[in-house]
Amino acid sequence: MTRKVLLRYSRDKAEEPILASVIRQTDVPINILHADLGAKGGEILIAIDAPEDKVEKTISLFRELGIGVEEIKKAIELDKDACIECGACVSLCPTGALSLTKDYSVELVEDKCVYCEICVPSCPVRALKLRKF
Amino acid sequence: MVEIVRERGEIEAAKEVDVVTTGTFGAMCSSGAWLNFGHSDPPIKMQRVWLNDVEAYTGVAAVDAYIGAAQLSETRGLEYGGGHVIEDIVRGKEIEVRATAYGTDCYPRREIETTITKDDLNQAVLCNPRNAYQKYDAATNSGDETIYTYMGTLLPNFGNVTFSGSGVLSPLNNDPNYETIGVGTRIFIGGTQGYIFWEGTQHAPTKGFGTIMTVGDLKKMNPRYVRGATIEKYGVSLYLGIGIPIPILNERIAKTAGVGDENITTNILDYGVPRRDRPIVRKVTYAELKSGKVEINGAETPVSPLSSIKRAREIATVLKEWIERGEFLLSQPVERLPRDREFKPMKQPFAVPLVRDIMTREVVTARADSSVESAAKILAEKGFDHLPIVDEENKLVGIVTSWDIAVAVGKGKKKLSDILTSKVVTASEDEPVDSVARKLEKHKISGVPVVDSKKKLKGMLTSEDLSKLIGRRRR
Ligand code: SF4
Ligand code: SF4
Repeated sequence: MTRKVLLRYSRDKAEEPILASVIRQTDVPINILHADLGAKGGEILIAIDAPEDKVEKTISLFRELGIGVEEIKKAIELDKDACIECGACVSLCPTGALSLTKDYSVELVEDKCVYCEICVPSCPVRALKLRKF
Repeated sequence: MVEIVRERGEIEAAKEVDVVTTGTFGAMCSSGAWLNFGHSDPPIKMQRVWLNDVEAYTGVAAVDAYIGAAQLSETRGLEYGGGHVIEDIVRGKEIEVRATAYGTDCYPRREIETTITKDDLNQAVLCNPRNAYQKYDAATNSGDETIYTYMGTLLPNFGNVTFSGSGVLSPLNNDPNYETIGVGTRIFIGGTQGYIFWEGTQHAPTKGFGTIMTVGDLKKMNPRYVRGATIEKYGVSLYLGIGIPIPILNERIAKTAGVGDENITTNILDYGVPRRDRPIVRKVTYAELKSGKVEINGAETPVSPLSSIKRAREIATVLKEWIERGEFLLSQPVERLPRDREFKPMKQPFAVPLVRDIMTREVVTARADSSVESAAKILAEKGFDHLPIVDEENKLVGIVTSWDIAVAVGKGKKKLSDILTSKVVTASEDEPVDSVARKLEKHKISGVPVVDSKKKLKGMLTSEDLSKLIGRRRR
């Protein structure tokens, strides 16, 4: 299963090639979903697609290198009670994370989400929320 | 119903089926509610009134107001508007009311601020000038930037398609001859029972774009079917649920109610072109639209319904249950809706000039087999910059500019056929000049030949003609 992890870089770590060295050491495929990193530090959201033990190893490696690590379980939320199932969001989603089922219910598959945020303001009843991190 | 008609035909279907229930749940901007606040002491004749900072219309008697679904909040912009106020009234929430007045002998009060809920209002009546479009055009965008429209967010380069309406479930589509739907028809509206009281504004039944005016008691409505909405970077609206029962009185109605999504067509229009009559990208059926993907220029394009198909079905089901339980009685219309209305465009004080109004009709032309030398002479004599090349039927085959001639002379080319440009940007006589001005700018050219649909040359329009016009407009 793909697991999503938010890496927090402090100011002194911002310049180090940490991601590259972790990839080299673990040989685990890491996909960058979202990055907000500058000279003052910042955050990178990654997806790790590997078996459980390898993911754990990767995470601890980041920690050893002085990076704050937070596993993201849910960053985009669909409020089923508020949603009117209009489907306005589905054709905008670049990855198919949002889709209409056979009976025209709206479904969100979190794993496919890349947090592009395009769906959030397009929802007429504000049923989609991106968790701030 | 569609299956029964398909399998056994409309004659059998008419015998077997008594009523078909329909439903739609979509953004209906042409909605609003009449509210009566009762009189304050001392009394006020409201001149302006705001509900949660959304202005309502009070150009009627002292304490009546109409809150329109598309009116924006003065403090929260597109996040909140009339549609949200209406939803909040239905939900029983407290609404802040603020009113101002000029004061009269009988209504001396000049301002008031209070909070109300629906229980404090004498009447709260949803009263909508245009609802439940029979069908609607679908939208896409050929441009290279995302645009934000009343048809939702449209991604560039035909990135997505949006549509509205519920196709086979659409109330008016099931009775397009208006045999059972008319003035006085009892309907499902916002979760309660209401009525159709007139044809809707822009009712255009001959084109398949019929609409209805509806009315219902807001106080009795259910927020599940009355929802305020924000259409990104466009405005606010109201999502409203409407359901209409169609009694199958005869085979004709059985037949129209038995038309399936694969036989209900609409056009996908290009909203990238900001004109009233937008170009048609292709024709499409509701079956294709509902499948979630349509093909545009060979590419699979994702589709969004903007009205909820699931909730439309739910409304049709609720209505069916009401009828079965005897809680909802079908009513015969007291008057039929017009079946021959046209939807006219706006009368404008002065029309935007068209190409035919300012183009040059006396155009000197040449044939492709003429010599460069003779062409050079013509252009020099007349002081023209463009020489359209036509065949024996006066059809445009290309264009030569004075610049092309100068280059050709330098290179020693003899025949015009060797130097003409055959890919020509053209204009048509009924095109607005504003659109030609954009063409000139976009292609960095100084003139276009004007042709008819058979490519016959009708005239020339140059940037000079356009600047003369602009000079005149300014004066
Ligand atoms: S944030 Fe982007 S990827 Fe995620 S669900 Fe919304 S549109 Fe899809
Ligand atoms: S746009 Fe919002 S209301 Fe419409 S289906 Fe998506 S989440 Fe639901």
